[in-house]
Amino acid sequence: MSILAVLTEDLLVRVNSRIEDGADRRSWRLVCKEFLRVDSLTRKSLRVLRSEFIFSLLRRFPNVDALDLSACPRVDDGMLTLLLARGAASTTASLRWNLRSLNLSRATNGMSFKGLALIASACSQLEKLDVSYNCRLGDREAAAISGIEGLKELRLDKCLEVTDVGLVKIAVGCQKLEKLSLKWCMEISDLGVNLLSVKCWSLKFLDISYLKVTNESLCSIASLPKLEGLTMVGCPLVNDSGLEFLSRGHSLKEIDISRCEGVSSSGLVSLIRAHCNLMRIIAGYLPELSAALLDSLKLLKNLTTLIINGTQVSETVLQTISSNCKSLIEIGLSKCIGVTNVGILQLVSSHQKLKVLDLTCCGSVTDAAVCAVADSCSSLVRLKLEACYMVTEKGLERLASSCLLLEEVDLTDCSGINDSGLECLSRCSRLVSLKLGLCFTISDKGLSYIAANCSELCELDLYRCTGIGDETLAALSNGCKKLKKLNISYCIEITDRGMKSLGSLGELVDLEMRGLHNVTGVGLAAFAAMSKRLADLDLKHCENIDDSGFWALACYSHNLRQINLSNCNISDVTLCMVMGNLTRLQEAKLVHLANITVEGFELALRACCVRIKKVKMVSELRLLLSSEILEILHAKGCIIRWD
Amino acid sequence: MDPEDEICGETWGTKSSLSNSLQEKSADFGSQQQLQKKWDNNNSSCIMDYGFRIGQQQPPFREQINNSIQGKNSNDNKPPEWDPSAMLNNLSFLEQKIHQLNDMVHLIITRKGRVPSKPDELLTQQQQQLITADLTSIIVQLISTAGTLLPSVKTIGQFSQFTPKPAAVSPEQQHQQPNNSMDVDHNYTTEEHEEHEDGEAEHLPPGSYEILQLEKEEILAPHTHFCTICGKGFKRDANLRMHMRGHGDEYKTPAALAKPPTIKEVSSAAAEPVMIKRYSCPFSGCKRNKDHKKFQPLKTILCVKNHYKRTHCDKSYVCSRCNTKKFSVMADLKTHEKHCGRDKWLCSCGTTFSRKDKLFGHIALFQGHTPAIPPDETKTVVALAHTDDPAADGGGLGDQALMDFKSVDDPVGAAAVASCFSPLNFDSCNFGGGFPDFNRQGFDDSEASFSFLLSGGSCNYSNQNTGGES
Repeated sequence: MSILAVLTEDLLVRVNSRIEDGADRRSWRLVCKEFLRVDSLTRKSLRVLRSEFIFSLLRRFPNVDALDLSACPRVDDGMLTLLLARGAASTTASLRWNLRSLNLSRATNGMSFKGLALIASACSQLEKLDVSYNCRLGDREAAAISGIEGLKELRLDKCLEVTDVGLVKIAVGCQKLEKLSLKWCMEISDLGVNLLSVKCWSLKFLDISYLKVTNESLCSIASLPKLEGLTMVGCPLVNDSGLEFLSRGHSLKEIDISRCEGVSSSGLVSLIRAHCNLMRIIAGYLPELSAALLDSLKLLKNLTTLIINGTQVSETVLQTISSNCKSLIEIGLSKCIGVTNVGILQLVSSHQKLKVLDLTCCGSVTDAAVCAVADSCSSLVRLKLEACYMVTEKGLERLASSCLLLEEVDLTDCSGINDSGLECLSRCSRLVSLKLGLCFTISDKGLSYIAANCSELCELDLYRCTGIGDETLAALSNGCKKLKKLNISYCIEITDRGMKSLGSLGELVDLEMRGLHNVTGVGLAAFAAMSKRLADLDLKHCENIDDSGFWALACYSHNLRQINLSNCNISDVTLCMVMGNLTRLQEAKLVHLANITVEGFELALRACCVRIKKVKMVSELRLLLSSEILEILHAKGCIIRWD
Repeated sequence: MDPEDEICGETWGTKSSLSNSLQEKSADFGSQQQLQKKWDNNNSSCIMDYGFRIGQQQPPFREQINNSIQGKNSNDNKPPEWDPSAMLNNLSFLEQKIHQLNDMVHLIITRKGRVPSKPDELLTQQQQQLITADLTSIIVQLISTAGTLLPSVKTIGQFSQFTPKPAAVSPEQQHQQPNNSMDVDHNYTTEEHEEHEDGEAEHLPPGSYEILQLEKEEILAPHTHFCTICGKGFKRDANLRMHMRGHGDEYKTPAALAKPPTIKEVSSAAAEPVMIKRYSCPFSGCKRNKDHKKFQPLKTILCVKNHYKRTHCDKSYVCSRCNTKKFSVMADLKTHEKHCGRDKWLCSCGTTFSRKDKLFGHIALFQGHTPAIPPDETKTVVALAHTDDPAADGGGLGDQALMDFKSVDDPVGAAAVASCFSPLNFDSCNFGGGFPDFNRQGFDDSEASFSFLLSGGSCNYSNQNTGGES
């Protein structure tokens, strides 16, 4: 009997739409053919990890309208041509007409204006395009992108060769653009931004971070009628009068002026006075917080986020903020000088709704402050206490008893944390991310509480937690099945046994295990054989791993995308195997490999040159390697970092 | 041989030798100009003139004259104080001059005796003027020499009024003197200046000037100066005058070859205010037409010509390099060609700009215009859009197109270079007519006369300066 007799198709679709987690969806697909069909038909987004599967995947999921190729090696013109040709030829013609979002971020290898022109002609519905971190992307590519008329969102971060001309092309061609990021497009100047402001009237969000633009740009940006968010981190040529120009607009809701050297409080005051609807202010590293600025915060009834990282504050400053901003949800005081217990007490006392609090490097904060936070902010979700070394289990106990919604806690370098602290913290069962790096006093016992209670944990950082060993890993592999990212670097107690138990963490994607001297090839082989999803592996200074471990890696870890083999005892043949066999490998750090000869490097690079995007090697090799292979790598768009 | 002719011919000959002797070490034009200006300041423009004539007839004296001139120059650098050596120089100079004048009168008398059949009235008149001018200059020199004895009086201020202005000398005489290119060059620059001010309003009260209106045919006629004997047309009076030399010796006199006086000089010579002349465009309805409500007159005939061609004629000259820019005035095309290709900022509409901000300003103004990426690249994109396989030979196509473009470009470039040089030479050799027509349209037409000019050896001045170029 078909399941459809019990549940109608539309009900199945509705149920399916509620499933967010990838593993759960996998389980769903395995139930029966009907479930699989429902999932295939309803799936809207697809993140492709391997280019060879892309066509079968697209056939299986005909209604995909968001395609992410950022994790895919070898995204080049040829592949895009094939993709679009197949998309057009397939019965559903999905790609040709329906693709709305396309992510080509970091697709360095061989993507040029030809491919982008094809996309522009084939995907007329495209609304969102991400081509960030394609350093070779230039004006011609920008011109090709400008052919996508309906584009609403475009990311050009670090497209280093895009100049004003390219930007203007886009500004004229894509007049519906609402969101544009030009971060690190270093060639873009005032002229381009001015013209952008003239042409793209529907722009709502603009990121001009790190550009060498001046106040003139801000003057023209102010004329954008719909602008809601402006990010201008690290614009050194902008100053207070530029912010005064910005005050001419009235619609701004978000502003980020962090690390703008020329900007001071007075500029921000004029901005605040004009934009009373501001919701987010990020003003890290302002020279000082003037009384006028604090006073003007009163005008902002809707201010939810205030981040003033790296500024000088005092108790009165924090008190004024507390009394002037009633609706804050997020406060960032990272690296602020002068944050004290009293200050925190005054700040949080009236902010019950606070969800995010960043107290990174506020060294004088003690348990008293943490207790105050716990008492006031019961809905806290994210708390960063990195380097607050005076925080102990007392604070954590209060925190865990009242802030049960906590998802993210950063206790890196909090040397006051011990096992009982972790025991208290383990009561926060929703924890997703926990950072305990450099907490030397915690041991297997403390982590066993976490492993037992925090089953949602996805990210765990145990960097240099020298007190933990194999038992922790065993406990984690049992309790935290959702763990995706794990850092056990320099946890020198860990041996092959621990590595083997880690293998059962089926979701593990990112593992950093630097300097584990007690792990040998056997351990790595056991882990690699089990851990199918591993994409990012750091083996630096794991000197006792021999070729058998790396050989296993080459055989099993087909999803490996980044690998760090620096200071490992890997041989020529095995390196060649690893580099050649791992068909998803895109980034490799190959520094100080004592057993590798120049020929070994040459062969390994030849084996992976078609897909590798980034290689790090010692600079001596620059002269020793043949110019041919270097030319090939360069032609394929691979970036070589010489150490 | 006609005496005047001889004088004239030798004037040109010695001019160069004089300048040679003056600046054996510094041969560049600039220093020469300066030198000449110094003389002018010294009220010695006619001394220089004397130098020419003295030199031609009595070569032994030349050096002494030069010495005296140089002495005067060095004297000029110091404040005008009593300087016995300068005085001596001046006196000996005066002495020489009187001698020369004496000789010249002698010469004229002997010539008259030899050729009695031709009592040319004009000729005698001119001879008389020559003598008068020389005498005037001697008087001036005498007074100025005496003036140095008076400590409180400055030479220049005091005696400038005694310079042989056209009031004292007839117009022909005036123009017989400066047969040097300095004067012409100066004249040319003012003309150029006026041309640039073409568009500016002058704010002359109506009625304060005389309005002339040329007919369309007159404006567009390639030649404005016609030979009365053979009918050949010329664009420049100077060229016509040179042409006239071929029709007989009577046209070879310095007076006949000299530039007719300009309006200014005539008016100042007549010492009565002559109505300023302004021009009206014959095109009715034009702002430059006298019937227009807000009539703005044109300053010179050249302005009229350029205005008429630019505003009311087809733009028939196309730039052979870019094939887009069109001009109705040849000079405009030449000017453009000097810059064409340097405009690397190109708009999708085909307009080029020398500066990025200008292009961006243009794009900001017009809907749908975008900056153009270099032509070969865009072609490749176009080619790509029409082929199924993008990796085919899109790039090759672009390259091919670029190659073609280049091969077309090169000879044109050479031609442009050539045409850049010739007007340069032409300008420096120009002898300027009454209304020197600097419009370079139909330049080739006048080349015959131009080469004649060159071969006549009358351009040694410029030859010397332009070196190997001419």
